[in-house]
Amino acid sequence: MTAIAHPDRNFKYWLISPAIFLLLLVGLFPLIFSLVVSFMRVTMLETDTSFAGLANYAQLFHDARLWQSLLHTVLIMVIALPVELLLGLAMAYLFLDRLPGRQLLVSLLVLPTIISPIVAGATWRLLFDNRYGPINQIIGWFAGHPVPALWTVNPGLVYPAIIFCEIWQWTPFMFLILLAALSNVDRSLTEAAEIDGARFWRSFRYVVLPAIFPVMSIAILIRGLDLFRIFDIIWALTAGGPGTMTETISVYTYVQGFRQFETSYTAAIAFLVIALLTVIVTWAIRRMGLAK
Amino acid sequence: MSDLKLTGLHKHYGTYHAVKGIDLEVPSGEFTVLVGPSGCGKSTLLRTIAGLEEASAGTVEIGGKNVTWARPRDRDIAMVFQNYALYPYLNVYENIAFGLRARRVASTQIDKRVKRAADMLGIAQLLDRFPRELSGGQRQRVAIGRAIVRDALLFLFDEPLSNLDAQLRDDMRVEIKRLHHELGRTIIYVTHDQIEAMTLADRIALLRDGRIEQLGTPLDLFERPATRFVAGFLGSPKMNFLSATIEAGEVILRDGTRLPLPAARNAINGQAVVLGLRPQHIAKAGASAAPGHAQLAATVELVQPTGSRVQVNIPLGGISITAEFAAHEVTTPGEQVRIDIDMTRAVLIDPQTDKVI
Repeated sequence: MTAIAHPDRNFKYWLISPAIFLLLLVGLFPLIFSLVVSFMRVTMLETDTSFAGLANYAQLFHDARLWQSLLHTVLIMVIALPVELLLGLAMAYLFLDRLPGRQLLVSLLVLPTIISPIVAGATWRLLFDNRYGPINQIIGWFAGHPVPALWTVNPGLVYPAIIFCEIWQWTPFMFLILLAALSNVDRSLTEAAEIDGARFWRSFRYVVLPAIFPVMSIAILIRGLDLFRIFDIIWALTAGGPGTMTETISVYTYVQGFRQFETSYTAAIAFLVIALLTVIVTWAIRRMGLAK
Repeated sequence: MSDLKLTGLHKHYGTYHAVKGIDLEVPSGEFTVLVGPSGCGKSTLLRTIAGLEEASAGTVEIGGKNVTWARPRDRDIAMVFQNYALYPYLNVYENIAFGLRARRVASTQIDKRVKRAADMLGIAQLLDRFPRELSGGQRQRVAIGRAIVRDALLFLFDEPLSNLDAQLRDDMRVEIKRLHHELGRTIIYVTHDQIEAMTLADRIALLRDGRIEQLGTPLDLFERPATRFVAGFLGSPKMNFLSATIEAGEVILRDGTRLPLPAARNAINGQAVVLGLRPQHIAKAGASAAPGHAQLAATVELVQPTGSRVQVNIPLGGISITAEFAAHEVTTPGEQVRIDIDMTRAVLIDPQTDKVI
């Protein structure tokens, strides 16, 4: 019997290496490239591309406008996220029972989420318009006199306007996911709780919430990340104004990159955001036990 | 005093009429079993008693109080579900304590009662475990513990044993019967299993198609069924039904076999009837026939030993009937035997109305 040469066990890795290489090239190259850029002095106005070391990163710490924009982002998030969650949950509870026309109503309610955010923002800008907008007109009917509220300019009104649009557009997302989660809760469990004498809150806290928690956590995580990156609605409604009052981290990054053409500095901001999000998301995933 | 009284209870689901006018009064401390084939409305009836379903018409009274429109939590009931319905995120202790906490019982009292219930059910060592770490039988015990700890007026059991294997089912049946003796509480128990119904019940309500077909003690229903349905539903193996006519005080089967007419049955001469014979009342013939018994020769077709008894198939009246012999009277297929039919315990059914004559 002739000895068969033992096949190279690592041969399979050679076979998949081109694919891996291509994936890395497409996936990692932009990331590495922008990391490299963040250590240089690239602007789109000059030809200087010399090495800047940590200068761009040092600048981050002195950039008050950056930290303000971060604060604005967090402000929008801590208000919009809980409201979306609670509203979505309440709506899901309402639609849990069989109602006539339930399917049609659910489809209609989900419409805002389907619209592109920039279109939704532009639409709301028209609705909020101080002269032609129907919102001021409707408020005027109730007030009995014309109300020329400057929704996208008045410092006291811009945040309510932005947060309102955000909630309008994304509550249906929460609603849909939570409706699916609630429909999967074992009915005999809530019935058992009801017979045991539990009122709504106790039944929700000990029976329903633990059951929907994994799905709810993912919904919160996705919406949290979305809110952190909020751009379209603000760009359409206020473009960060008045002044820089509603500038979020995404808006500020865009302004730095494509209005001020500070390419390297923009890359540094982008990496700051990546670092922040990585820490928060990792913590959240651990905390919610999603990794299990 | 009665703990439960149903009057003219109906339940519709859209156009489907699930419960069609149930009147039932359950005396305090009685173990009542609602039994019937699937789709007979027994579970719907139980859920309506519990308040998980709204009655379409009629009234439900628990402990003398009209609770037709009361919420489940205001009905003073405890319920054990078929799939246990244990709260998966609470341990056994908290599962049992849940109803007491919901009713704001003092925690020292809760501790005492949970431990007492756990002791009664032999699950004291499982209190720290979670439902997913328990076997089916243990889960069922916890579910029962959760019910008995509440000290409710009325206990509702919805097919509690149907998810357990045969061996465990026998054990739990004994357990439930023992608990009923110890607690002396009123129990409404739903099952499709006639053995459970026969062994557990003080009274059986046999349901069919949304109505009570017959209500009575297990022996009542077994010995004196009111209809062909009741006669056929209770008893294992099933009762044999043979077409026959009455002639000159005798029952004539299709193949001409003549059997003595059971005493005191007012069947009319020449009337077509269905003769119901329980396999247990057909035996291998002894030396001489007792009064009211009939003895005849037959050929064994099929033999099915069950251990304690032997089921034997025998041709009679044009069909194959089942007889149950004692285990030592083993026969082989093809063998000629003499059988003894106890006609005093046979039932005669009017084929027009399906009612027992």
